[in-house]
Amino acid sequence: MNKTALSIITVSLVIGIGIIFLGDSRGGGENALLPPGSNVEIRDGIQYITIDAKGGYFPKVSSARANLPTKIIMKTNGTYDCSAALVIHSMGYQKILSQTGEETIDIGTPQAGTPLRGACSMGMYNFTINFS
Amino acid sequence: MNTYTFHVSGTHCTSCKILIEDILNEQTIVRSARVNLKTETVEVETDTEENPEELARILTSTIQANGYTLSVEKSAKVLPESDTIWKALPIGLGVLVLFFLLQRSGILNLGLGGQTTPITSFIIGLIASVSSCLAIVGGLVLSLSAKISQDDVSDTKTFTLFHVGRIVSFAVLGGLLGVVGGVVGVNFTLTALLGILASVVMLLLGLNLVGVFAKNKLSLPSNVFDFFRKIEHKTLTPLILGFATFFLPCGFTQSMQVSALSSGSFVSGMLIMLAFALGTLPMLLLLSFGSASFAHSKYAPLFFKSAGVVVIGLGLFALLAGLAGLGVINPLFTI
Repeated sequence: MNKTALSIITVSLVIGIGIIFLGDSRGGGENALLPPGSNVEIRDGIQYITIDAKGGYFPKVSSARANLPTKIIMKTNGTYDCSAALVIHSMGYQKILSQTGEETIDIGTPQAGTPLRGACSMGMYNFTINFS
Repeated sequence: MNTYTFHVSGTHCTSCKILIEDILNEQTIVRSARVNLKTETVEVETDTEENPEELARILTSTIQANGYTLSVEKSAKVLPESDTIWKALPIGLGVLVLFFLLQRSGILNLGLGGQTTPITSFIIGLIASVSSCLAIVGGLVLSLSAKISQDDVSDTKTFTLFHVGRIVSFAVLGGLLGVVGGVVGVNFTLTALLGILASVVMLLLGLNLVGVFAKNKLSLPSNVFDFFRKIEHKTLTPLILGFATFFLPCGFTQSMQVSALSSGSFVSGMLIMLAFALGTLPMLLLLSFGSASFAHSKYAPLFFKSAGVVVIGLGLFALLAGLAGLGVINPLFTI
């Protein structure tokens, strides 16, 4: 094969990797299709944000209200991958979630404009919660 | 006694120099051999009465398996390097695309509910060995294996020691976790730092395999290669490396460690981790012994460069993800 053909293949593969990494649409994960805000619920003055942890965190970006006592509910269901090893740096929180179950994390009363970021221990899965 | 100077092809790094000198000095007909990296020549003192051409042929046969040849005349640059890298780039990138597509496909997230038994942990090991954990553990195995095969003929022993060390330490450490119970966990920050160290090693080895260091005659400090030489030649080092993979960041390994922790006894903790390590074994064996067989075939130059591209890609991925996991940088991507 000549160099031109090989470099065209190279460039298209690089673009392919770019699409894989930065592409937004993602199949799987029941919450992916839900409208924004539907994973947030306020009960007895406490705001609960539900995030599914399995093969990543869903939804990846959530919006919630600021200045309310807030708890995150991490749901696992046969989760063995990295998303079970949860780290929230701003709180110094690290825990390996049980393989199936729910973990409630008290994140206090978040302020507007300071998003909360969580990641798995290897860093390739992450989620963000914006407060406003 | 006669002294001859031969041209050596293929010598471009400090470790090549040491390796060639080691092998030549082992030959009974050679009194001493000294490689000059700058001029790519070797000076050989010998008692033999053979003519230089014959001597070059004899000595070449001892180091050919490692990819070096001696000649009396300076040989014209064998096969244009640039051609190989142009083929290696698409191959390496293609492998990376397949790997990341597999991660995104979600096939690997199949649910295994209920109790963790040795059988489920074996299956989880099988899944883990093609998951994103492959980026770190597999990338490290691939880069070290390719490097070892490039430098050394006795790679089978080294690989076997590495895998034995890995499986034994998984079993023993799993058993210990079972005994200790819920008191300790493996620290996240420590594993993340180890992961970053591993990805830096992968990047260095990857660049070396691709030949960046060779082309620009940019040589790493020789103590870096002394370290790799120790990996290659000592019995203990591959064992220790196998042991260290227990602590590398991998979500599957970590959740297995928790299962072992909560299992409550030495035997059950050991069985869980042993089964998990056995599950990861086929893929890792394929990587290490596969690279060895490629390395000794005629596709060796292409293989080393393609492996280098793959390892650089995985190393970058692991490094960026690791930094994000540590909270040093914001996550750039989600796979």
